[in-house]
Amino acid sequence: MAVLLNTILMIVVALTITGVINRTRALLSGRKGIPFLQHIRDVKVLWRKGSVYSTTTTTLFKIAPAIYLGVSIVAMLFIPVANLYPLISFEGDVICFAYTLALARLAIILAAMDTGSSFEGMGAAREALYGALIEPALMMGFATLAMFCGYTSFADIFEFEQAFDLHHTIVMLLIAYLFIQVAFIEAGRVPVDDPRTHLELTMIHEVMCLDYSGIDLAMIKIAGWLKTACFAMIAANAIATTCCFYWWFATPVAILLTALAIGIVESTQARNKLVRNITFVVTISAMATLIFFIGYLLHLNIDI
Amino acid sequence: MFYVFLLLALMAIATLLFITPQRAKVWVATSIIAATAIGLVVPAVGVLTGLLPTFQYAITSALFGQETISIDSLSAIFIIIIAVAGITTSIYSKGYLQQYLDKKSSAHISLHYLSLVILVLAMFMVVMSSGGFSFLFSWELMTIASFVLILFDAQRREVTRAALTYLVMMHIGFVLLIAAFSTLYAFTGQASFDAISLYISDGKTILLFVLFLLGFGMKAGLFPMHIWLPEAHPAAPSHVSAIMSGVMIKTGVYGVMRVIWQLNQANELYIIGIIILIAGIITGLWGILLATTQNDMKRLLAYSSMENVGIIFIGLGIATLSKASGAESIATIALCGTLLHLINHSLFKSLLFYGAGNIYSQTHTTHLDKLGGIAKHMPLTAILFLVATVAICALPPLNGFVGEFLIYLGMFDSVRDGMNTLPAAAGLLSMALIGGFVVLAFSKLYSIVFLGSPRHHHVAESREVDNYRIVAMVVPAIIICLIGILPQYSIKVIEGVALQFLPSATPILEQYITPTLFYVSLTVLMLIIVIALLYVIKSRAQRRRVVTHGPTWGCGFTSSNIHMQYTGESFAEGVESIATSITKNTIEGKAVGKGEIFPTKHNYGIKHKDKIDSLFAAWWVEFLRLINKRIMSLRTGKINHYILFALLFLVAIFILSLLNLI
Repeated sequence: MAVLLNTILMIVVALTITGVINRTRALLSGRKGIPFLQHIRDVKVLWRKGSVYSTTTTTLFKIAPAIYLGVSIVAMLFIPVANLYPLISFEGDVICFAYTLALARLAIILAAMDTGSSFEGMGAAREALYGALIEPALMMGFATLAMFCGYTSFADIFEFEQAFDLHHTIVMLLIAYLFIQVAFIEAGRVPVDDPRTHLELTMIHEVMCLDYSGIDLAMIKIAGWLKTACFAMIAANAIATTCCFYWWFATPVAILLTALAIGIVESTQARNKLVRNITFVVTISAMATLIFFIGYLLHLNIDI
Repeated sequence: MFYVFLLLALMAIATLLFITPQRAKVWVATSIIAATAIGLVVPAVGVLTGLLPTFQYAITSALFGQETISIDSLSAIFIIIIAVAGITTSIYSKGYLQQYLDKKSSAHISLHYLSLVILVLAMFMVVMSSGGFSFLFSWELMTIASFVLILFDAQRREVTRAALTYLVMMHIGFVLLIAAFSTLYAFTGQASFDAISLYISDGKTILLFVLFLLGFGMKAGLFPMHIWLPEAHPAAPSHVSAIMSGVMIKTGVYGVMRVIWQLNQANELYIIGIIILIAGIITGLWGILLATTQNDMKRLLAYSSMENVGIIFIGLGIATLSKASGAESIATIALCGTLLHLINHSLFKSLLFYGAGNIYSQTHTTHLDKLGGIAKHMPLTAILFLVATVAICALPPLNGFVGEFLIYLGMFDSVRDGMNTLPAAAGLLSMALIGGFVVLAFSKLYSIVFLGSPRHHHVAESREVDNYRIVAMVVPAIIICLIGILPQYSIKVIEGVALQFLPSATPILEQYITPTLFYVSLTVLMLIIVIALLYVIKSRAQRRRVVTHGPTWGCGFTSSNIHMQYTGESFAEGVESIATSITKNTIEGKAVGKGEIFPTKHNYGIKHKDKIDSLFAAWWVEFLRLINKRIMSLRTGKINHYILFALLFLVAIFILSLLNLI
């Protein structure tokens, strides 16, 4: 039962985050905004449409969206919602999670390159580079969690509420911050990437799916939501362990925290110049390493 | 007696190979390799399953005294790796060398096959000999045989250069190994691996270990001794690169493992672990950064071999230092990961080199930016190469993931338990970076070579290769998939070695590693099922929709052509800005200037060379050359001068001994 509720909540988070982002952006720019579920309607329309395939492409191009979505679904099943249980959980599933997501990245990069378009090549090359540079942030984040909570599986790491402990709270808040930053990059949002940009030359994620249409594009969009939901939920869990470790707390936190962060950043900041992106991504990885060291020192109970 | 028998056997094989007709040579070589392989795999499997006791055979020779040849679990694993690679290589060479049969002389082909047979036999000998002298003998035999194999295309200038670099570097390593074994012999009276444990008490263990590490690291391609790798692999024929990169460099790892096995009791084991870990981290990061920037398929693969050796050493380092600090569970996990990765790498790296060979034989180039769109012309090669690509990126559901998963798990457990947190974190950080860049390097390799449109007319004319080569590639591909999907059974193979290293490993294996891998296998199966289901749903849904085909969307630009595709160079542009500090870029030709509104035809190429290469073009090389010149002036070619030198030498010896100096 808990597993089923867990999965349903993850799907709810995935479906609503984009809505909240759109609403936040609209409010901040003084507009009424599109309906809350507009993004789901868009995908529904896409799902019913036919497709156009480039003659340059191979079968790989047609399989890639299935891999992308399949991977995102499986990755979602690793993540617990506060005190509930995920479907998949074993020692070391954090590693499995990170590497499963990397499979999605490889699939979508290869699919983009399959079209032989220079624009999609640009997107693929950037995605590959940022993906490579963000990997240490993920792993160091997980390592900090493993060190601090004493487990290597998500379900055990986020198992119960800890009695208030300043060290624990500091590290968990830092971890939450880190994973929201990771979500920015993985979801292709400002300041790294802008999903609403009009110039293909500056796109990253969107430009990789230029040749996708209809049901394929719908699959890629859904996969993107699920991926964002995973990181949002990890961040929310980290916060929930410090104060109120229940699913009814973690779920809204996951939605609001990530969506508001993304929405506010998108309304107030311009996207980075592309050359600055590498620095930005490396900074996040360096920050993750720093968080690990802070965690290590706090874990040793050294006063800093 | 043994060596006399061995030499006679080699002479018999040589004669047999030289007298058989041109087209039958491959089958003679294959059958000899297969017969030896089967003859050794049977006892090896027996040892691994515990059905047979450790196989031992004493050899006495007037030359080296009493030594033994034995198969224990560690040798058994290597025997199986060598056997698989040896057999597939010789089958592959049937197809690959077909086009050379008419061009090259009969003696040339015979020599090639003879060296191939000797290489495989020598590698078997290397992993079985426990005595130092027989080990060094087979080690040298292996080097010479692979040298001849690299020289196959000797009329190309870069091939002779690469082969000579290889030969020189291997002999530097060989001298270091001789020094290490001589030290052992001098102190313990024995020159075998077993003697290392006797040497420990002397307190100079680290020095001896470093000597061994340098000697074996030369073969394994540890930083900074890797520079022969990216030269020799592109120069050698593809099946030779496959067996060299897949298996032969692993004999270096084998040597290091043997030494560590014997150092079990040493107090310095922790420091040794740290040394291995650091060596692994530097090797891995250096290898992968250079791999991403390379524009030649085989150079890229060679650097990727370096990176994988790095990963193997990271795992081995973690295992060693965990054992030293008493964390047996972590040591077992990391060791299992290391061994599994070693097996895995031999499989997918051979497969990748076979794929590169297919492409080279069809398009006559391995330059990335001249290829493209091969998937449509060579679909089977493309599928098999994709399997290897996913495997080497360590992604589920294939075998590369399982090995790296265990190494990661070992490091995560270290961090979790607070045992060696900082070394494990360093390992984690570098493995994560390596993992990310591997995806970049191999998505670049695969997409530039196989996807998009052909960039050169040779590609458009290429056709799928013959069935021999496909069979040679399908065998490793199947094993890759099996290990990836059912890792909990493949771990059984390694159990014996883990027990050798850690006698108490059985409960950890049974209660921790096997159940975890069982869950990994379930997850992987679920992943495959979900993906397959989604694909079926999509395909069924599309039957009812309008599906059309058209040109790639050009973003409003209507006359895009194939030369506008992203190239390997542009794909790795971002990495190059990171890697500039470790590469030396040489630009050929001239780029289109910013002021040229109507650009004319330009030739532009860029090569990313290893900065370590410049170490061998530095002042000290020039200095050595000068000294050499001086010494060479003594070589007058007149016999009376030489007699004078001999006389001077004798007089010098006489005076020195009179003064009691020698």
